[in-house]
Amino acid sequence: MVSLANKLSQLLDPLKNEEQRNQIISILSPVALLLLWELMVRSGWLDARFFPPPTVIAARFWELATSGILAEHIGISLARVFAGFLAGTIPALLIGLTMGLFPLVRAILEPMVAATYPIPKLALLPLMLLVFGSGELSKVVTIGLGCFFLVLMNTVAGVVNIEPIYLDVARNYGASKRDFYTTIALPGALPMIFTGMKLGMGVSLLLIVAAEMIGAQNGIGYMIWTSYQIFVLEDMYIGLVLMAFFGYFFTMSLSYLEKVVVPWKQQ
Amino acid sequence: METTVAQAKIRVDNLTKVFRGTKRASDPVIALDDITFEVPDGQFLCVVGPSGCGKTTLLRITAGLETETSGSLIIRCDDPERPLNSMVFQESSVLPWMTVRRNIGYGLRMRGLPRAQQRDIVERFLKKVGLSKFGDAYPHQLSGGMKQRVSVARAFANDPEILLMDEPFAALDEQNKILLQRELLRIWEGSETDTKTVVYVTHSLDEALFLADRVILMTALPGKVKLDVDVDLPRPRKIAELRTSPRFTRLFREIWEALREEVVKDKQSRGLDFVAES
Repeated sequence: MVSLANKLSQLLDPLKNEEQRNQIISILSPVALLLLWELMVRSGWLDARFFPPPTVIAARFWELATSGILAEHIGISLARVFAGFLAGTIPALLIGLTMGLFPLVRAILEPMVAATYPIPKLALLPLMLLVFGSGELSKVVTIGLGCFFLVLMNTVAGVVNIEPIYLDVARNYGASKRDFYTTIALPGALPMIFTGMKLGMGVSLLLIVAAEMIGAQNGIGYMIWTSYQIFVLEDMYIGLVLMAFFGYFFTMSLSYLEKVVVPWKQQ
Repeated sequence: METTVAQAKIRVDNLTKVFRGTKRASDPVIALDDITFEVPDGQFLCVVGPSGCGKTTLLRITAGLETETSGSLIIRCDDPERPLNSMVFQESSVLPWMTVRRNIGYGLRMRGLPRAQQRDIVERFLKKVGLSKFGDAYPHQLSGGMKQRVSVARAFANDPEILLMDEPFAALDEQNKILLQRELLRIWEGSETDTKTVVYVTHSLDEALFLADRVILMTALPGKVKLDVDVDLPRPRKIAELRTSPRFTRLFREIWEALREEVVKDKQSRGLDFVAES
């Protein structure tokens, strides 16, 4: 037994080293890329006007961060994203569960959803600006619409795919209409609902930048757009990095939340 | 307790169920054809028959999950506080998003029983099916036999007027099946209030004769009652003793002969070759 264990650990050892090596490489490679970028700009191979060196971007970042301007832009963008996300997700959940549970409701609403879903929500921005003005509402509604469809379609699919036997169980054990929502449809569709919310979050970040470029006086999208207009591209790069960070952060947060709320799902 | 006709727990009168074809051209299927029988209080009834003979349809109508085309099925309600029936389903019907405890207490929760009472009942049945250590486990952590134990506990915990079971152990391996059948009888015989009336659907004759007070054999479609036999084997029953007892053999042969005819008829009607064994 002992010799077997020894042999096994010998076999596994190089594997472990390989794993460590890969970890180190995956940290070093982006650093190397930044270094290469810096060197290429400094040596004049890259145009510093279009590709400001990372150190200059970092300095600008520090400047904006300490002056409080950055916090203001970030704060307002995130507020819009959250408001839009909730405004889209909550009605999508309620309508989606109802469509999933009742074939009649599904038959009535499905053609409309199918017809309006493919419209790019950005194409509606002019209409939104006209109807809701250039204030917060136009942005919130645009983002809300983007999230709405993704959460709705995934929720409906989630409920429809619930094993029919679970519905029989609920009926046989005297579940009320409300119990069907809370004990069968919602928990059964949760994995799909999370898929929809993650997609919705991604679309929200896309829409917020576009909406702020056109009709806003602040926010990350506005920051990116003005950096083009006044030709300070450092600000654009800061905006890009921030969006990437928030995209990653929100996806991870939703994944974590999913693990907490859906403990029964087999990994 | 009198066992007059009026005292029957379940009364099935001229029950007929016709399924309209899903496509416009297909013929309607007569699943149940004018069925009449009664089940007295506390009887363990097994319904057997060739697969697709309408026995599950009969059970689903009893459970209120399907409506009859004509005729009637009445369950006598003795205590309006109790649910009329609770079903142990065919395959795994344990809700995957609930822990074992919440699954067992599902019916109690739906009925809005006080929390403390729910907890007491759930703990008692958790112990009865030997899953005390698994109260907080989720179904995906359980074996098939354990899941069906949860399903059985959920039905018994609900304390219904009658219990319905739709081949609950069909998907289990032979050892587990025998184990669970024994447990089922133990719980059924040791019921606190009164002995429950059970309607149990199965395609296994062995299972039916081990469990039942009475066996009803249904014909191939259209489903009718072909045979109605009392199983006068003494309880408590033991599988090993049962199999060697001459009464068991006599009953088995009687029902098997009738069942074989139906299986052959069914295969022939579907145009399949069938080598009859005797």
